[in-house]
Amino acid sequence: MEAAASETATAQPALSARGVTVAMGGQTIVHEADLTLAHGRLLAVVGPNGAGKSTLVRAVSGIQRSSAGGIFWNGARLSSLKGRELALMRAFVPQRALVPGGVTVRDAVTIGRSVHIRPWQRPGSGDRLAIETAIDRTGVAALADRQLTTLSGGELQRVQIAVALAQDAPVLIADEPTSQLDLGATVAVAKLLRGLADDGFAVLVVVHDLSLAAAVADEVVVMSDGRTVACGTPPATLTRDLLSEVWGVQASLEVTDDERTALSVAWLDGEDRPVRAARDQEIDNDRNAYSVPGWEV
Amino acid sequence: MIFGLSVAVVVAAVASLAFGAVRVPFGDVVEALSGGEVPDAAWKIVVDLRLPRSVEAIVVGAALGVAGALLQGALSNPLASPDIVGVTGGAGFGAVLILLVVPSQVALLPLGALFFGLLAALLVFAVAWSGAGRGSVGKLILAGIAIGALFGAGTTAILTAYPDRVPSVLFFIAGGLTSDGWHDLGAVWPYFAAGFVCAVCLTRPLDRLALGDEVAASLGTKPRTIRLLAGVAAALLAAAAASLAGLLAFLGLIVPHFVRMAAGTATNTFVVPASALAGAALLLAGDTLARVVAAPVELPVGPFMVLLGVPYFLYLLRGAV
Repeated sequence: MEAAASETATAQPALSARGVTVAMGGQTIVHEADLTLAHGRLLAVVGPNGAGKSTLVRAVSGIQRSSAGGIFWNGARLSSLKGRELALMRAFVPQRALVPGGVTVRDAVTIGRSVHIRPWQRPGSGDRLAIETAIDRTGVAALADRQLTTLSGGELQRVQIAVALAQDAPVLIADEPTSQLDLGATVAVAKLLRGLADDGFAVLVVVHDLSLAAAVADEVVVMSDGRTVACGTPPATLTRDLLSEVWGVQASLEVTDDERTALSVAWLDGEDRPVRAARDQEIDNDRNAYSVPGWEV
Repeated sequence: MIFGLSVAVVVAAVASLAFGAVRVPFGDVVEALSGGEVPDAAWKIVVDLRLPRSVEAIVVGAALGVAGALLQGALSNPLASPDIVGVTGGAGFGAVLILLVVPSQVALLPLGALFFGLLAALLVFAVAWSGAGRGSVGKLILAGIAIGALFGAGTTAILTAYPDRVPSVLFFIAGGLTSDGWHDLGAVWPYFAAGFVCAVCLTRPLDRLALGDEVAASLGTKPRTIRLLAGVAAALLAAAAASLAGLLAFLGLIVPHFVRMAAGTATNTFVVPASALAGAALLLAGDTLARVVAAPVELPVGPFMVLLGVPYFLYLLRGAV
């Protein structure tokens, strides 16, 4: 992990993608998208459902074939890199990984380490240290000997990140790591990813939650209809006009001085329905006061 | 666990050399194997008749165990067995074709079963690896079932056409080993060797695949290539096994489960070698029983292996998560 930190100084971006186009089943999902990721930075890709966010990060990761454009890892063209070379440059955390039976957390993290272990050999002391470090860093040490099948969604997500950290690549890419998680688990994952970027990792995440993206990301890339339409620091980029244009919603991003973020949304187009609803709710509550107890038994 | 299974294979091997229509003392078995002085009759029985057969049992049992483990790992499907890549249907068709249509060429039986077993697998892969979504698990399984059904229908057609010759194929269909010396093993060993070498190289990629295609790709492994290689290795092993011992594919289905449930771990670096040992031990024990129970008549080993394996398998299944 020290290796990752020392590379912060180098000027060359970890990843640079220009004009990436991805077509699947005769349909173009991503149109000439651009992306630049530097060491020590956290870049969030945001956009509506179906905008091509996941496809773009899969394409730059070398997991999805792209039909046009240039993708460069540390200056080397993606198509010229062998699988293992790429595996040493970036680790990819999928949105949903398989959860096989009969595999413990430590087994899974050891599989993540396998890039560094020669064929026919057992993990060496350096490998075991890296495995335990990844387990500690993601806060799953207490679960290390548990089977994956017994973990909750939030625990599984942290294990997935541990698997990726054991790979010991300076770039971490995560596809919607928080989309299935509750508030507490989301905060845990957000802190973890931000901490990794502060330690010198380059972190690329696909995020749905704009207030979360604004809180943790150094930069956001906004995608709409397969194109990258805006890029920059969150407050400067996620403007009222952009939110209205891309998501078709009247909303604004609020950032307070103590770095709290919130998205203020006119959920029902600003009509006075919420007020009415609150009034109706009070009436419901009165009614429930009489009708609920019978149901509890 | 690996050590225990190794001991089981050795014990089963010695038993398979000692027991049969004629009981040879254990001392003579060990003497004969180590090149010592033993009576001529004991030498002939142990070294010329039983040794090739025991070696065949070890190789075939290990091959089917490994084939099942590879397919279950590669397809992330607990129901995968050599049936699924069409090998069983193809090998059965090849054997029936030779035994019933050209019974004078019975010596070609192993090669016929091998050829049609591999041909069926080739057709399955050709279909599963074409068009959009090529190499997907669902496509492979469906292609395997369809091609298997096609060869199964061919087998039934031949059986119907030559009803008077049907009894001669029962032994092959039930699955059984014969005491024919080293000849058959000498003809098909390269297929076993290629399959085992592939299997050893595939254990780590299969572990990566267990965490999903994207994790495997993140670690620099190509999921489709690994699936194809695992399928080819399993087809080689299962077709070679069928050529020597008939249709015992059931062994390929249960042995990897048996190993996983007994050890409580599913990592392929453990399951693949352990399945080889467990398959070898189970087939050796089953074959010995098949020779002893109705001696001097030899029964097909398939049903005996099932008799040995299934009760323990069901016991483990009851306690499994």
